[in-house]
Amino acid sequence: MRPWCDGWRRVVSAPAVIAGVFLVTLLAALPLALTLRGALRDHLGSSLAANDAADGVNYDWWQEFTSQASGIGTTFTPSIIGFATTLDSVSGLLDRRTLIAPIASALGIYVGAWMLLTGGIIDRYARGRRVGAHGFFAASGTFFFRFLRLGAGAAAVYWFLFAYVHEWLFARWYVNMTRDVAVEQTVFYWRLLMYAVFTALLALTAVVFDYAKVRAVVEDRRSMIGALIAAMRFIVRHPGRVAGVYALNAALWLAIVAIWAIVAPGAGGSGASMWVGFAASQCYIVARLVVKLQGLASETAVFQRSLAHWGYAAAPAFVPPAPPIVDARAISASR
Amino acid sequence: MRTLRGVFAALLTIVLTADGHASQRFDRPLPGARSPRNASYDIDVRLEPADRSLHGHERIRWRNISANPTSELQFHLYWNAWRNAESTWLRERRLGGNTNTPRPDAWGSTDIRLLRVITPGRVDELTPRLHFIAPDDGNTADRTVTSVPLSRPVAPDETIDIEIDWSAKIPRPFSRTGYIDDYYFFGQWFPKLGVLEDAGWNTHQFHSGTEFYSDYGVYDVRMTVPRGYVVGASGREAGLTDGPDGTVVHRYHGEDIHDFAWVTSPDFLVRTRAFTHPTLPRVEMRLLLRPNHAGQEDRHFDAAAATLKYYGEWFGPYPYDNVTIVDPAFQSASGGMEYPTLFTAGTRWIAPRREIDVEEVTIHEAGHQWWYGVVGSNEFENAWMDEGINQFSEARADEAAFGSRNYLSRRYFGGVIPWVFDDIRVKREWDEGLAGYRAQAESDAEATPSFRYWPSTGGNITYFKTALWLHTLERWLGWPTLQRAMSTYFDRWKFRHPQPADFFQAIGEAAGRDMTPFFDQVYRGSNTFDYGVQQLTSTPAGKDRFRTTVVARRFGEATFPVEIVTTFNDGSKKTERWDGVERRAIYRYDGAVRARSVEVDPNHVLMLDVNYTNNSRTLDPRSGDASLKWSLTWMTWLQDLLITYASLV
Repeated sequence: MRPWCDGWRRVVSAPAVIAGVFLVTLLAALPLALTLRGALRDHLGSSLAANDAADGVNYDWWQEFTSQASGIGTTFTPSIIGFATTLDSVSGLLDRRTLIAPIASALGIYVGAWMLLTGGIIDRYARGRRVGAHGFFAASGTFFFRFLRLGAGAAAVYWFLFAYVHEWLFARWYVNMTRDVAVEQTVFYWRLLMYAVFTALLALTAVVFDYAKVRAVVEDRRSMIGALIAAMRFIVRHPGRVAGVYALNAALWLAIVAIWAIVAPGAGGSGASMWVGFAASQCYIVARLVVKLQGLASETAVFQRSLAHWGYAAAPAFVPPAPPIVDARAISASR
Repeated sequence: MRTLRGVFAALLTIVLTADGHASQRFDRPLPGARSPRNASYDIDVRLEPADRSLHGHERIRWRNISANPTSELQFHLYWNAWRNAESTWLRERRLGGNTNTPRPDAWGSTDIRLLRVITPGRVDELTPRLHFIAPDDGNTADRTVTSVPLSRPVAPDETIDIEIDWSAKIPRPFSRTGYIDDYYFFGQWFPKLGVLEDAGWNTHQFHSGTEFYSDYGVYDVRMTVPRGYVVGASGREAGLTDGPDGTVVHRYHGEDIHDFAWVTSPDFLVRTRAFTHPTLPRVEMRLLLRPNHAGQEDRHFDAAAATLKYYGEWFGPYPYDNVTIVDPAFQSASGGMEYPTLFTAGTRWIAPRREIDVEEVTIHEAGHQWWYGVVGSNEFENAWMDEGINQFSEARADEAAFGSRNYLSRRYFGGVIPWVFDDIRVKREWDEGLAGYRAQAESDAEATPSFRYWPSTGGNITYFKTALWLHTLERWLGWPTLQRAMSTYFDRWKFRHPQPADFFQAIGEAAGRDMTPFFDQVYRGSNTFDYGVQQLTSTPAGKDRFRTTVVARRFGEATFPVEIVTTFNDGSKKTERWDGVERRAIYRYDGAVRARSVEVDPNHVLMLDVNYTNNSRTLDPRSGDASLKWSLTWMTWLQDLLITYASLV
């Protein structure tokens, strides 16, 4: 619990990080949202159908739009409303739903942005004090290419999990186990077991690579294979703490999702109610991001607490070079 | 030539003024009966759970009610659709996109061991003469229809007896029949005669997209099953006796029905309830419920009772005194299917009350007791006559009984977890699959024999196009007229085999007008309807005057009369009636008020219009507001998705 609380303290003491990742999340989604807006506006044109669509749900028009839509328009389904968003995204991930190219591209950019920022975020949390924008981005740049190498390894593992393990679990084992079952609950429990196994594998992979990143940053490791091995060694030696912190983070995620299930706004109307609903949705997005940051912060705290010096970070604080004018003055003075 | 023309005209007059167009000359009910009862079955069947097989002996009393003698008999052996991979059923399933090869233990088949024809003083052993035919596609690998030449022809109105011994390998669930675990559902399970019409035998092969067709009769069936198994079947239970080796023989008897289905499993909970109504006959409802759905008893009964009430009031009373509702086992593929006096519903473990899927399927299948069971149309050739008409009828009953709690839902996590959208109340017309029809509107003309529809899109025509043009008729002619037409059709064709023209005739009679142009388009053609606004302008024309110009446009090829309503800023309206034949209609108004909007078909009478968004235009559009709201909503969905997927890195 202590590392988790410590992680929480580090997250809340760095609101700029939260704001930054929220901005990145917003920017990653905005271009496609603007594209969709154009498509919706074009389809509605000057039709009176827009009145009902603006004031609530015009499902007649909605179905008409999706029947002719292509690209991101095909994702404009009722699942975008309220809590269904979360059900849709989690279910889509665990059921291995194929993402259409524009969404996959946005995801690729978003993941790339996270790889860029993660070094800076962990560095900030490891130090537990302000490092300034220059320090943050210097650390981000320092670790970006290392994390790219690490990301390649993670991608290979995830590809194996989704391409083979998922297929084996859901398309073979699950099908074989449930083929002769005539009771839906029993089938669902089997499915739940498959989800649990698959989620556990995903979580284990994520934790290993998270700790590899933490060790890479805290110990200023250059070898990502070394960081990965060190991360695994750490997890094996401290399974209780690692699992405990992960469970607390998972519980936090569940609590936020449960609250979202209750308060998620519906379609709403236009004008002020639209903005209130949008603000509520963005609060949820921020909460989801905080959970992710809390994961990194608490894992950093777990690792640092196992070291001799609490709060140790091997990498020196970044000292920015003097601006060229300083050198010019020094040269002119020496003359 | 003139003589020929005169004969043709005379024949046409006879046909058009006759009481419909019977496909069998002697199809009147037997004295004291509701139907001709020309194909009655007496069957003993034994279920062998150990090797998943059925063994049966049947005796058919068959009367030739056609106008002509026949020198052969034709039988359906439906289960042979799963005898080999090249059956027409499996070929069509592959065409429809399902390329899964059945597992080795999934196959099913029926083999006739013995067939003899008995006439007074004569018994003909005809087993060696049996041979398979493929009247629809010539597929020599298809064994779903068998023919046997007779030793002597059967004359019109002559009766013969046919004895058949047969065995069947029970398939894993295919097309609403087969077994899973200890649940067995038996549909189309016995060798069954085709229908001899005046034009000859009407015995189609089993097709993946269509259903069945058979004559009415009396069924007396004795089913031997292991002790402890509950049985539900067409007709009414008429006896229960102990059989050999720990078995029990269940006897069911059904009159004036054209098929017989049964189900057995040791797991059913049996519930009964009576349907009563001030003006309709009492009906005993029997529900065979899966134990894990025990809490949904009321939902099944309420939906079945709603069907008996609304269909009874609208079309005519349910003619039998009992009905059996079967809650099918999960993964049994037997849900949502109709048989005489028995049907399968279908629910889910988690079934929120604010979605009415279970009510809809129950009403739909119960509704088939009218459109299929009592009015025995040919489902091979005119599937719309049962499925489409029933789809429309069901939607009306859904709305009347449960419309107040019918919300859109979606399922997640492998289809188990539902989520109900409180913002989206399901309207009756959505239930008619406008979206599905819109995408496939031109895939087939409805007049094409249904079994020839393209397998993956035929359902949109059969179910949804029909329901949509019936909705259109309701809005155009008014419900009292349509209801009168449908009840007339029901009464006229109960326990008989109607043709499409018979339905159209009933509509035309009730409407009091020639409906041919309408049916030419919705039934005989595949053109789409699409009316819209091409232009709306309202510009100053002198002091305090505005000139408003409205151009309505027919974008589709099909035509229908529509209203055009122009609304002005002071709330006044101008209504025009356009026959919709020309490509466009232009209206000009000069007045002191500027126009605000125009709508073509503002009451959405033409439910077949594939693009309703273009039916209106306003000079004060709100597409900016709407698109902003929905793109922000969508953006939250995308952000959530990005965070979820990025949680892995």
